Amino acid sequence: MGTAIQIENLSVVFNEKEVLKNINLSIEEGHFIGIVGPNGGGKSTLIRAVLGIIKPSSGLIKIFGQDPALLPGKKETVFGYLPQHLNIDPAFPSSALDIVLMGRYKKTGLFKWPGTKDMEIAEKYLEMMGVGHLKDAQFSRLSGGQQQRISIARALAGEPRILILDEPGTGLDAVGQEDFYHLLKSLLKKMNLTILMVSHDIGTVTTYVDEISCLNINLYYHGNPLGALDDKVLTSLYGKNMDILMHSGVCEKCERLRSQ
Amino acid sequence: MIEIISSPFMQKAFLAGILISILTGIISVFIVLRKMSFIGAGISHAAFGGIAIGFFVGLNPLFTAIIYTILVALGIESTSRKGKMTEDVSIGIFYSVSMALGITIISLSKSYNIDLFGYLFGNILAITNGEVLLTLITALTVTVFMVAFLKEFFLITYNEELALVSGINVRLFNIMFLIALSVSIVISIRIVGIIMVSALLVIPGATARLYAKNLISMITISCLTGFTSVVAGLFLSYKYDLASGACIVLTAAAIFFVSLILKNRE
Repeated sequence: MGTAIQIENLSVVFNEKEVLKNINLSIEEGHFIGIVGPNGGGKSTLIRAVLGIIKPSSGLIKIFGQDPALLPGKKETVFGYLPQHLNIDPAFPSSALDIVLMGRYKKTGLFKWPGTKDMEIAEKYLEMMGVGHLKDAQFSRLSGGQQQRISIARALAGEPRILILDEPGTGLDAVGQEDFYHLLKSLLKKMNLTILMVSHDIGTVTTYVDEISCLNINLYYHGNPLGALDDKVLTSLYGKNMDILMHSGVCEKCERLRSQ
Repeated sequence: MIEIISSPFMQKAFLAGILISILTGIISVFIVLRKMSFIGAGISHAAFGGIAIGFFVGLNPLFTAIIYTILVALGIESTSRKGKMTEDVSIGIFYSVSMALGITIISLSKSYNIDLFGYLFGNILAITNGEVLLTLITALTVTVFMVAFLKEFFLITYNEELALVSGINVRLFNIMFLIALSVSIVISIRIVGIIMVSALLVIPGATARLYAKNLISMITISCLTGFTSVVAGLFLSYKYDLASGACIVLTAAAIFFVSLILKNRE
């Protein structure tokens, strides 16, 4: 296992305001990383810089040891990405299956539409996310939670090496979130994935991730999830008068509901 | 009926009109889904500047309008990006400046020409063989381009960030779409006119949006709406001696409102 993402002295400035300051971070392949911090702390900016959507003002990002612009194999899907907001037209003309197939476009290549094999893979991930029965439903008319599950199936359908999720718990209920985080843990090994997940829910995230990064313009902490609950780290992130209500590793109510 | 179809100028009008309806039917889908209706109106009005330049320098006004509107489209994209402003602001600037430029050039040339009325409101009698050929070549080229990259345009329309992560050069595709849009507008001007051409870029897509379940069905309904509007509009224009552009747009609007009423009854 090597280094999946290497970030050195990364700074991002928007409208003369520093959004990220001198970030150094190394993420090992096969790890599940949670990025937490307050709103406006630069979490989404960090992952958008890693994805190459925005250019850093200074610093360096390497993906599997290479400049992201030179990643090997045009058809190789390095990233699977779930953005925080979709903002789609309420009559957007596509079924759930059409949306998941979008995740296969890079592998399909130019001038071709996804074929039978792509359909089978898309259906497999829809089933995995528990929404296989919705494959022909119009995507824009589904609930937020259903759309979120389908979007995650789309991010997985390209069979990426790194999965980047921006607030994936949005729209999922408590049981759905527990199931989802369990599923991510199982995918980590099954698909040999590296997962980078942004979340505002520091209490829940610490239960599932291997390492946590605490970000509020500066990177205040990176390491063992329990270390993020240190008073000093929490004060750096959220200010004073901050307390965390911890979940245990297993949510008894969730397990009971799941078994029913 | 036979009289209309056998008339040489109507044959030219129908041929050009059908090509335009297919082309604008495809473009209209993306205009509606990407909420770009104003850019269609903006570029079509800006074409007036290009047509005036054609009159002034003695070249075919459609030819100069194609070049001019492409430059305007690129100017809108560049001004929005560099000025960090929303596109509707730069459309508003380029659109009014182009109209002002067109009026100034026409005033300078002292050639208040009857043809100008035809460019503004559509004149099927004035379509030349050369313009039919220009329409044929450009409509086929743009249609093939749009169909070839349909998948990429669909993903960009769904979410630009996902398209970027998928390795699509979103800026290049957006510029190419603006060029395709500009060309489509100019070749539609002879039949529909500058004032009303934007309707062909909005109404077919808006009608299709009411019923479509997927991209292909949306494009099909949009093209059929455009096709029916153009064919019925040209018949009405010939039979009652009315401006072709107005007849086409009114037919398209009738199709849209009937579709809307039927949809709301479901």
